Amino acid sequence: MQQRQDFEQTVRAYSADLYRYARWLCRDRHMAEDLVQEAFVRAWKSWAELRDPARVKAWLFTILRNECARGFARKQVETASGETDESELPPVPSFEAGLEIAQMVDMLPEAYREPLLLQVLGGYSCAEIAEIIGTSEGAVMTRLTRARQAFRQRYADAGKKRVSK
Amino acid sequence: MNCLEFHRQKLADPRRLSGAAQAHLRDCPGCLAFARSVDESERDLERALTTPVPEGLAERVILRQRGEGRPAWRAWALAAGIVVAVGVGYVIGSSPDQFARLAIEHAAGEPESFTTLYQTEPAKIGEALRSVGATLKEPIGRVRYVKLCPLGDGSTGWHIVFETQDGLATLILVPGKQARATEIATAQGWSSLVRPTASGYYAVVTASPEATARVDGVVRLRIAWQT
Repeated sequence: MQQRQDFEQTVRAYSADLYRYARWLCRDRHMAEDLVQEAFVRAWKSWAELRDPARVKAWLFTILRNECARGFARKQVETASGETDESELPPVPSFEAGLEIAQMVDMLPEAYREPLLLQVLGGYSCAEIAEIIGTSEGAVMTRLTRARQAFRQRYADAGKKRVSK
Repeated sequence: MNCLEFHRQKLADPRRLSGAAQAHLRDCPGCLAFARSVDESERDLERALTTPVPEGLAERVILRQRGEGRPAWRAWALAAGIVVAVGVGYVIGSSPDQFARLAIEHAAGEPESFTTLYQTEPAKIGEALRSVGATLKEPIGRVRYVKLCPLGDGSTGWHIVFETQDGLATLILVPGKQARATEIATAQGWSSLVRPTASGYYAVVTASPEATARVDGVVRLRIAWQT
């Protein structure tokens, strides 16, 4: 009974953060909700094995990340042709500033985008991100530094364009 | 700590500066200006990434988890209860601009539709238009995104994004749902207009009422609608 209460409290505390992260990973809101559902189903099955409750958030993000990878693997088998081609994205006219920023993030290489999303949306430190994605803290620091350098360059360029219009 | 090391630390984790970095910040006006500029872009980044979360998400997760431990008939009974509750809420919540608001909610909820090229071939657009009894007379602009989507009221609609003189516009085609009359709505910085068609309705969504009216004009002129 106590376990169930703890679990439900965890769902209420972290489902929004997980959804936002999932949303950025898979870029589809329906799939994002499915991923969150699946991640919590898996989390509940292994709930008894969670030894350190302080690490529950990082544990959930790791489960969701694995779930997303599994989902993409399944999807690739189902639609081998791949209908979405993001590598050929043409420049998009500015629609609104938020969307423009989201697009800048979208254009970052996956290796930079993922730690950035974990830090901005999940609030994780470099050491925690390193644990979630399975790499060294130094590598995460480098990726985050480069991610923000690239983002800030595009952000500054977009600002100049807006001023010159 | 030198300025280079400070920049690296600030870019790697803007909210967690070490004691040495904070001490450097107090004595270095250049790095203070840099830190402020990083904080500003970080705030904008956070705002842009914080996408809206579907209402009731946590409750649905909990409900599913509880349902998995119950006998099947209890899970079904629970699900049926939710369907009835949602149905009642929907009837109570219906308003003269319900489809126009639904279109805004859908467009705003799928930012990837503005950044992704998806199923842009003419055959797909033709299929989407036929679903509401319409055909293309002339091109409406460069189409970037065509996707069949579930909508918030349980219906299904074709979600199309195309380029216009006013920027990107969204056209949503919903077969099998009758809008009683023309609807207009403005919400969340978006504007939409809904018109009934022979076998459903269409909605135009853009960033302003003026752009929506102009895009609607193009859509009415270049698509043959059977009304």
